[in-house]
Amino acid sequence: MKTKLSIIGVLIAISPMLFSFCGFYVSKADGTLKNKTSQVILVRDGNKSVITMYNDFKGDTKDFAMVVPVPVVLRKDDIKVVDQSIFQRLNDYSAPRLVEYWDENPCNPVRDEEYRKSAPMASMSDKRADDNGAAKNKMLGVKVEAKYLVGEYDILILSAKESGGLKEWLVANGYKIPAGAQEVLDPYIKSNLKFFVVKVNEKEKQKLNNSFLRPIQISFNSPKFMLPIRLGMANADGDQDLIVYAFTRKGRIESTNYRNVNIVTDKNVPLFVQKNFGSFYGNLFTHQWNKEDKSIAFLEYAWDVSPQNYYHCDPCIATAPSEQDLVQSGVWWLAGKDWNDYSDIDNDEPDNGSKNVHFTRLHFRYNRNSFAQDLMFQVTPNTETFQARYVITHPATGNFNCAAGKKYLQDLRQRRKKELIELTALTGTNIYNWQDDATAKNDEEENASAQYASLLPEVKDELENRESMPVGILLFGAAMLGGAALLRWKGLI
Amino acid sequence: MHWRNENWLYATYFLTSLLAQFVCEYFFGKKSLPFLQRLRNGIPSVLISSFGLSLLLKTNYWWVAVFAAAVSILSKYILRINGKHIFNPSALGIVAAIVLTGNAWISPGQWGSGAVIMFGVCCLGFIVTTRVQKLDISLAFLGVFAALLFWRQVIYLGWPVDYFVQSISTGSLLLFSFFMITDPKTIPNHIVVRVLWGAAIAAVAFYLTTFKFMNGAPIFVLVLAQPLVPILDRFFKAKKFEWVSPKTYSPEEKKFLQIIYSRSIM
Repeated sequence: MKTKLSIIGVLIAISPMLFSFCGFYVSKADGTLKNKTSQVILVRDGNKSVITMYNDFKGDTKDFAMVVPVPVVLRKDDIKVVDQSIFQRLNDYSAPRLVEYWDENPCNPVRDEEYRKSAPMASMSDKRADDNGAAKNKMLGVKVEAKYLVGEYDILILSAKESGGLKEWLVANGYKIPAGAQEVLDPYIKSNLKFFVVKVNEKEKQKLNNSFLRPIQISFNSPKFMLPIRLGMANADGDQDLIVYAFTRKGRIESTNYRNVNIVTDKNVPLFVQKNFGSFYGNLFTHQWNKEDKSIAFLEYAWDVSPQNYYHCDPCIATAPSEQDLVQSGVWWLAGKDWNDYSDIDNDEPDNGSKNVHFTRLHFRYNRNSFAQDLMFQVTPNTETFQARYVITHPATGNFNCAAGKKYLQDLRQRRKKELIELTALTGTNIYNWQDDATAKNDEEENASAQYASLLPEVKDELENRESMPVGILLFGAAMLGGAALLRWKGLI
Repeated sequence: MHWRNENWLYATYFLTSLLAQFVCEYFFGKKSLPFLQRLRNGIPSVLISSFGLSLLLKTNYWWVAVFAAAVSILSKYILRINGKHIFNPSALGIVAAIVLTGNAWISPGQWGSGAVIMFGVCCLGFIVTTRVQKLDISLAFLGVFAALLFWRQVIYLGWPVDYFVQSISTGSLLLFSFFMITDPKTIPNHIVVRVLWGAAIAAVAFYLTTFKFMNGAPIFVLVLAQPLVPILDRFFKAKKFEWVSPKTYSPEEKKFLQIIYSRSIM
């Protein structure tokens, strides 16, 4: 079957959700703030990390506060605010994509190409601030290590001796602590972590005249390469999504304490998926996440995005992040030595001058039961590329009266049946769930016999008659047992 | 378990190891036994070391896989003292591939950490260790490592117990304890020394893991500690381990076997 590529991406609106970071919001009013999806940019080389946290707080900025455990006391130079549009660009660029192919009419080989644009998602944010005197701090064992004003934020770096004192301090200073936060604070304090406490400075905020809060970027040197998610679970009910955009010099990052799984990719799916790709991918993700037992890190994208490398994806669904975007994201080695002077901090791995940038996008969905530990990462030399990519194929148009045309229609029916079966397998949904989409009128469906709707009954029958037993697993088990028995019989074990 | 599409990598480890074993046995093997019998006796060890490589070492390049497997097997024949090889084959292969090629890495999270995996690995490990390897050192290592982690994570830091369970049920840790550290040729012969040696490796690995955030610390520590084994053996004598206990044959059997071997070699 001849197919002609053309393309494009459709962006995945990561479903209807809020974006926020994995620290926790402490609300001054008894707010019902929930974290649902967080986005974080992680840049790592040697022992140095730059972490950028997206801020999607919605509401009165007076009620905003964020607490993030950090391994060291940050200096003022180590904290900055960055343009929030970089998150949008990174997401657009690395999101799972839909690829379109066009069949050629075997009776009448004319090609048509088409390009479509994608509708990415939008998000916003807000914030808030507060201040206080600190006299009883000593009594509570809480020490304000540093105090800065960065952009629209008032930032405090606290160290504490015990969680009770820290909790009391936060409460006394007007923060509401979510129930369950204390059990996590204690281990953090004993691990010698500091607390990065952020509030919005109203005066600065008004000067900016923004309706949103900008992302905060921190950088520090520490052998710990991790993201504290446990604190974020304190005020979240149910599952939270976290998207990590990571940049390194060497290769992919991967989780060291959760299993790494590549999301299923390169599958042929029915044409109508195009109409609602976001919900298709949402279903697919949920199903795969359940299937893989939840405690996992899903890889959604990995590529060498070094500025000197022009080929970043296949197909690309958005403009590649520019060198400037990467520098904004915290990729300090592209910016030269001057950028905020980070490089004077001693770095275990000496700057080797390489300008390589490897982009990894990991997608976590965590909850308290499946994620007992914070996320630990490592940088690997794995430079293999990966993208989540789903393929739709438009049927040929015209007249199919020639012999090849009849054959084509037959093949088309078979292919579409496979696509429907694939769809149910990928998303773990029943074929009936897709009935509306499949039967919806579609301009391209001029051939009645090959319409998805007319194939549905056959596919239903086929699926119902399928062996429900996991044959593969049984065979594998039998082979293992047989092998063991054989070895035992031969006296090898 | 999740094999994904990495079967080519596993196949490379197994094939290279078997081939290397064949070649090495031909050139360096003890000539006292017939070639085929030596080859047969060596198979469990080759399978266990390729198993170790497959489960722990990842790489994108076939030549790194070949290098790791070849180093594993060659080290058994070349780096020897007192008739015992010094390094655990797969541990040395892993460390050499990571340090020398820079294109390989240990993926501790690869096997996840679930009850099922834990149970499976323990069962399999138990069978292997009771049959051909040493269970005492597995238990010494795992016991001390787990105890230290429990003290640090649950008692000292105050994490809930499932935090600790996740650390300890990691597939790679269990694989290390049952399949790697247990290699009977690369551990002290004397039982008390062996247990203490396992405990010491656990303690150092715990320190590096917890305070230096090192990945795969047990493997690196093991490789560094193994040159000590011949020294320990010199001071603490004990019976040496044989993969297959030498069987005594009657004269008729010997004659029969000789005929068989001479025929099969031709």
